[in-house]
Amino acid sequence: MTTTTKFDYEVTDRGPGYNKPQTMGNRLWAPMFAMAIMAFPVALVLSWVRASTIADATGPADIEDAARLGHLVAAFGFIGFLAVFAAISFAIARILGRFRKGGGEIQESVGNEVHTLKMPVTAKIFMLFMMMGMMTIGVSVVLHFVAAGAVGTWELESVARWGEVLEGFRRFGVAMYLFGIAFGLGTITTVLRFQTIRVGQLAR
Amino acid sequence: MTTRFDALTRPKAGDDHQAPSKHRSIGFVLAFVGLMLAAVTLIANIAAANSDTETGTTAAWSFGLTVLGFGTIKLAIGLVLVGILVRLWFRVTAVKDACANLKPDAEAAAPRGTVQTEFGECTETAEAPGPLPIHRMARTMWFPMLAMGYMLVFVGFVLSLVWSGKVEDGTQQAAQAWTQGVQFLGEGMLLAGVSFLLGSILAALREGGGELQQSLGLAVRTLKMPKTAKLFVGFMVAGLMVSMVQFVLYIAAASITNPQSFAAWSAWLGPFREFGLGLLLAGIVLALVTIGNVLAFQFSRVREIITTGK
Repeated sequence: MTTTTKFDYEVTDRGPGYNKPQTMGNRLWAPMFAMAIMAFPVALVLSWVRASTIADATGPADIEDAARLGHLVAAFGFIGFLAVFAAISFAIARILGRFRKGGGEIQESVGNEVHTLKMPVTAKIFMLFMMMGMMTIGVSVVLHFVAAGAVGTWELESVARWGEVLEGFRRFGVAMYLFGIAFGLGTITTVLRFQTIRVGQLAR
Repeated sequence: MTTRFDALTRPKAGDDHQAPSKHRSIGFVLAFVGLMLAAVTLIANIAAANSDTETGTTAAWSFGLTVLGFGTIKLAIGLVLVGILVRLWFRVTAVKDACANLKPDAEAAAPRGTVQTEFGECTETAEAPGPLPIHRMARTMWFPMLAMGYMLVFVGFVLSLVWSGKVEDGTQQAAQAWTQGVQFLGEGMLLAGVSFLLGSILAALREGGGELQQSLGLAVRTLKMPKTAKLFVGFMVAGLMVSMVQFVLYIAAASITNPQSFAAWSAWLGPFREFGLGLLLAGIVLALVTIGNVLAFQFSRVREIITTGK
């Protein structure tokens, strides 16, 4: 019995290279990173405009402007969080890809059969929670824009209540993203364990 | 102190490299606890939005509880990263043994100083290079940052209960400002702790790679600090500074008595503290990208050693 029977893996003649999520990680971390570093300053600038509106408010029109800007600030801020967490997730997928590709190439160069770990459950949980976090924050952002557009037609109390509910969803979206990231990093420990055992076998 | 914290990231004598990581298992449980705390606040927010009386009180404690949930997951991420560090040292030992057996006999080439590779500029030296100052700092700072960060997040949660109790009589402003300032300073420190752990991973890759090549009697090839790593440090320092500044500004806001002025301050301090977290998270992206690049370089170097013996 080989030590790698503790893992679910596939055996091939050649290194398998990147899988689809890893290829996606290679391509998408940079655009997501760029989107994040643009969105946060936009939210900050809008928040200064809103603070000035609140400080100088004298009538209902100013209160409406502040409510509209409140939804826009939250929307842009969370576009930033959505993008930066996506960039982190893609960067983790990229690291997992490096292990898969590099591990395969080394086994191939030794002239041995190539053992590659099949996608572990933790990696599937990572992707699932990343997608759920992304969708939850994404939908909340869209609804913030809807609420911002509805100021003036909806009652201000309704606009404020939308804000409260969306805040809850946004926060939960962030928690799901972070939970997924913990599992993505946990997958790296599994891959390291598998490769350490496999390297020991190659030397024998 | 560095040695004491560093020891937590290395395998102990007698540890089995085939056993699953305990850090990972505990980290997953902690992450689940954090997720559940955030789920509680989601339900509370939906209930409060449909209630005529509860809104302000719920918003106060749910804020504190959510940030505690985020802090718990970030602490879990830190623990998983410690598990990765321990695994990396097991891997160094295994690759050292394997390369010694697999390397073909060849005369070692003399170190060439600076070498250009497809992964960037490298140095070639006779001996493994020591850790960079930033690596020493990362190894010293990750533990205090995580510990202080989580303590502040917890203290902030207690303050949010005080804030919640003051909503009905309308005197909540100071407690609100202290809660938000303290909790987001804690969040910033937790993310800085995670960043220092990522820096420690980069240090371990550098040190382990050097040790491996030196043990085989080869010229030690080490990747020079890439631009992404320099930017990572810049983003982390900027993010941590913003987290400290927002704390000071929240303390200043706690003394504002005019509700309109307090609302105006709160309107921009919230996005400002999120901007700080955004900078820290952007730094973490770049640290992960750097780790990916260093791994690609090391796999390529190991393949070169196995095939050419040089």
